[in-house]
Amino acid sequence: MISNLVLFQIPILLFLVGALSGLLSRNSRLARPMIFVPAMIGSIFTIIFSIDIITGASLKLAIPNILPFFNLEIFVDGVSAFFMLIIGIVSFAVSLYSIGYSKEYETKKRISVFGFLFNIFILSMILVVSSNNAFFFLIFWELMSLVSFFLVIYDHDKEENLKSGITYLVMTHFGTALIFVSFLLGYIQTGSFSFDSLRESSASFPLLVKNLVFAFAFIGFGVKAGIVPLHTWLPHAHPSAPSNVSALMSAVMIKMGIYGIVRTVFDFSGFGASPDFAWWGVLMIAVGSISAVSGVLYAVIEHDIKRALAYSSIENIGIILIGLGLSVVFAAYHLVSLSVLAFVASMYHTINHAVFKGLLFMGAGSVVYATHSRNIEDLGGIIKQMPWTSLLFLIGAVSIVGLPPFNGFVSEWLTLQAFLSSYQIPSTILQISIAFASLPFALTIGIASATFVRLFGITFLSRARSKHALNIKEVPRSMIIGMAVLAAACILLGILASLGISLISSAFHLPSQPSSPLDSITLQNNAKNAVHLSMPFVLILFSAIAVGAFGFIRTIGGKTSKTIYGTWDCGFGNLNEKMEYTATSLSQPIRAVFKVFFKPHNVTSKEFFVSTNQYLIKSIKFNSITKNIFEESLYQPIISSTLRVLDKIRKIQTGKINSYLLYIMITAVALLLFVRLSH
Amino acid sequence: MIFSGAILLIATFGIVTRRGFADWLGAYRYQSIVLAAVTALIAYVTGIWEIYIAAGLTLVIKSIIIPKVLLYVTRNLEIEFKVETNPYVSLRASVIISAFLVALSYFLTQQIPFKSDPIVSTYLPISIALFLIGLFVIVNRRSALNQVVGLLIIENGLFLFTLTLTHGVSLIIEMGIFADILVGIIISSILLLRISRTFDSLDVGKLQNLRDD
Amino acid sequence: MPSLAEIVIGIVQSLFIISFSPLMVGIMNKTKARTQKRIGSSVFQPYYDIIKLVRKDEVVSDQSSWIFRSSPWINFVAIGTAAFFIPIFLSYSPFGLVGDILLVIGLFALARFFTMLAGLDVSSSFGGFGSSREMMMSMLLEPALFLTIFVVSLTYGGSNISGIVTTSADSSLISHPQLIFAMIAMFVIILGETGRLPFGNSATHLELTMIHEATVLEYSGKSLALIEWSSAIKQLILLSLIINIFVPWGISSSVSVPLLTTGLLLFIVKVSLLAVSIAFLESRVARWRLFRLPDLIAMAIASSMIGVVFYYL
Repeated sequence: MISNLVLFQIPILLFLVGALSGLLSRNSRLARPMIFVPAMIGSIFTIIFSIDIITGASLKLAIPNILPFFNLEIFVDGVSAFFMLIIGIVSFAVSLYSIGYSKEYETKKRISVFGFLFNIFILSMILVVSSNNAFFFLIFWELMSLVSFFLVIYDHDKEENLKSGITYLVMTHFGTALIFVSFLLGYIQTGSFSFDSLRESSASFPLLVKNLVFAFAFIGFGVKAGIVPLHTWLPHAHPSAPSNVSALMSAVMIKMGIYGIVRTVFDFSGFGASPDFAWWGVLMIAVGSISAVSGVLYAVIEHDIKRALAYSSIENIGIILIGLGLSVVFAAYHLVSLSVLAFVASMYHTINHAVFKGLLFMGAGSVVYATHSRNIEDLGGIIKQMPWTSLLFLIGAVSIVGLPPFNGFVSEWLTLQAFLSSYQIPSTILQISIAFASLPFALTIGIASATFVRLFGITFLSRARSKHALNIKEVPRSMIIGMAVLAAACILLGILASLGISLISSAFHLPSQPSSPLDSITLQNNAKNAVHLSMPFVLILFSAIAVGAFGFIRTIGGKTSKTIYGTWDCGFGNLNEKMEYTATSLSQPIRAVFKVFFKPHNVTSKEFFVSTNQYLIKSIKFNSITKNIFEESLYQPIISSTLRVLDKIRKIQTGKINSYLLYIMITAVALLLFVRLSH
Repeated sequence: MIFSGAILLIATFGIVTRRGFADWLGAYRYQSIVLAAVTALIAYVTGIWEIYIAAGLTLVIKSIIIPKVLLYVTRNLEIEFKVETNPYVSLRASVIISAFLVALSYFLTQQIPFKSDPIVSTYLPISIALFLIGLFVIVNRRSALNQVVGLLIIENGLFLFTLTLTHGVSLIIEMGIFADILVGIIISSILLLRISRTFDSLDVGKLQNLRDD
Repeated sequence: MPSLAEIVIGIVQSLFIISFSPLMVGIMNKTKARTQKRIGSSVFQPYYDIIKLVRKDEVVSDQSSWIFRSSPWINFVAIGTAAFFIPIFLSYSPFGLVGDILLVIGLFALARFFTMLAGLDVSSSFGGFGSSREMMMSMLLEPALFLTIFVVSLTYGGSNISGIVTTSADSSLISHPQLIFAMIAMFVIILGETGRLPFGNSATHLELTMIHEATVLEYSGKSLALIEWSSAIKQLILLSLIINIFVPWGISSSVSVPLLTTGLLLFIVKVSLLAVSIAFLESRVARWRLFRLPDLIAMAIASSMIGVVFYYL
């Protein structure tokens, strides 16, 4: 039997090996296997290690005084292991996928640098979840942010990517600063940077400190998770990165924000079962609802396939936060079983989102790989040339929309059940607010369905809309297998829902209920009526109905033939791709219904053959513009007023020695006056 | 009993969603009939016979006379003055806002005294909700003619309010209110006619032009 | 564990929905015809149509993929599965151990997802605008439906349909005023989900009036039969939900032959009355402009919101 510690060291070593061999590979032909095979094996060991921790005892070790005053402390409990499992699963699939995907970087860019960053990125995330000391946590956190920043600007020959990289860098440091403040508050109280001392003494913090610790940590980690309105970096950074990195960032890295929030709320902040803390949950539900609705609303009108997926990540973070917030509210009122239900729902959605968003980003990456276009208006008809990618993308889409029998349905079902149980909270105003909060949640699910119908339908179905989508080939096999791993996880987590639930409950030491993976989920939130959900049985019903319907139709109707013929064109006879519905027109009703949010306006510009004759039109250009209210009404004013203030400050810099001396004199006099007056 | 309150709220929502003048007038007529029924129910529960008179008056004045008068006064008005084409908040959003106002009024009246009285606890929140919804309708609509509907909803809310709190002791006062509202409607309608002839519009936003800058 | 008799009755109930649903369409068509002073086709015409379509050859668009061809089957399987969870004449269904009302909504969403994709698959503008409109309607109906279920499940405890119907069979509607609001909302939602007037006109194939029909315009033969049939099943499921949640009077609460027979007869009477009144309503109203339909759905949402307030206060 190998001990925990060895199991923990193996993946770290493997990722380091991958990083080094990446550097040493010098862009040779062997570079891709040298980079990604160690990463794959490392991911497998990460999975093994995390399952070992979840089922067994936790790992704890400390290396004292690795730096003066700072001990390197490692603590991997179920919570860390759960997030490590997510990292392992997704990075295994992504590494496999990258073997094929990074082929085009082989000739164009330095793949060795990419390989180094890729391995370090995964490693830094593993270290973030396993560190047990605020100081090292921040170091690893910063490492993760910096490495991901370099990965975002990996395609740095496009100015757009550099710009989004800078936005990302600024925002993520803003977040890190707030996390630092939160830890400092803990340090002031305990005098130690170790998470252990925070854990022990946080219950005795004054209420104000507890609230502040939570607030700073929530906003700080929220930046990383991409909550609205601190999300602005996310829709720029994720599409800019290479698709395999976007998959890792969207599926795993933003979950580190969730990890931070979970750790802080339930471990460090001195959260207790008292209504004083209910506002934490309410805040999370409110922020989660806003994130979910605005994320999905931007996703549904977006043309860039990767940016649409990035916006959908914001939406899913919102859903996770709603579940977490419900759990906190229930816990504050000491409704333990309901709190567990909401928490399981939230964590289930966390792992689900990692799985299907990784799959979808890889699918989008495959589309970009084959067509070299991210604009869905250029695509179409891909399903005929890339059947496997299309099928796998469809599985991801159906899962993320939350349709049975896939995994998204299970977590959304659990969250909805948590909503339905909110009547047990002994506060009328909270009862009603939470009931009303289910509206944005349900709206989000509805719009998400529209989003993915549009993304899948326009990208993969009907006929090619431009030459980008013509004459394309299916992607290499390693990419397909990489996606298939996550697609299988989607189906598995959907059908064997009890498996996922028992995984979560043993990771977080929750009172668990289902024993065998085929069991149904039973919720006894009411004395009389228990609620059940059994996905395997739903599948049996599916097949029974399918067989029955097929038999019925064949016996009544017999065998009939199918004729392949052109689409009905009202006798026009010349249907072409320009007459198809476009992505813009498909989402037009949604833009119109939510016009308060989008503020759409149309610009029509005409070009004439002769400027004097306005009847002979050469061409008409129609442009439908929507506004991004967060960027235009929140960030623009802040940025411009900051610049204005800075402009004023600049006037102090006159360049004359005399004025600088004057400043020194004024300061000196002021200080002296201060000293005199304060006595 | 709470059941009748529910129906009254539904009738009010019917008015809020209507865009055209004749439409909301019809919906208002329904609401008044429901209100009369509610009044009769209160009369039955409390056993005070005067309230039956109030119910009868409500039925006659609000569901017959006021709509008739309004229709008569505005019969020559052109159709574009009668339809609310461009409210500040779209009608679907205003329905949701009205629902929030109902929740708010229930919340506001949660701590009131007399809670033990079933009539007060049933109808007081509803009357306040009617009042708030009426105010919101006035705020939201641009056309002066369609603002009248808000006034009417408020009036119905006030009627219910006094009825629940005083149990119909002040029949005289209510008669006064009835007369008042009738005269008010007539005056405002005539005023509207004048406005429409002078400005060729009933958009209250345009009344800003009267300001002496 | 449910007994064998209960399981048999559960299966019979779902088969009843599946086989009875075209008749409901026939009754509605007949009512509409009579209100328009036409004689109209026989109430059994939908059955004849399905049999006729099943025997016909199919024409499939050359632009379409396997999504288009499999969509009718997914539709039928999803909606047929949903039928298993609906109590008809026995107030509890043994399949309540498998799923609840949220699963039924999920299955409907699954069917709709593939219908919308199929509309996009054939690369005609008809399919495109059908999907576009369906997208708009479905995303707004989703919160309305969920909030309605919220009110119902608050009142009767939990989202298990069998539990809801059993509890509601024991209590009276009058003591729960919030259910009035839920019922209004549910009625509007049913009109929207089944594409009835004022949402869409299922009787015509005109660009202006089509929502659901536009997405399935390219289908023929067996596929069309499956589509028509599954939308009939969906309609009957929704009608039975509104009947058995709000007016479950006479539904049998135990397995005994006379009770079950009365339950069945009463159900047929109630559902036919509801269908006739919907059809009558349909011939009284005009179709609303597409962008006014959200107003109607907002009405349903607001109604459910007040239902929630009424429950708590």
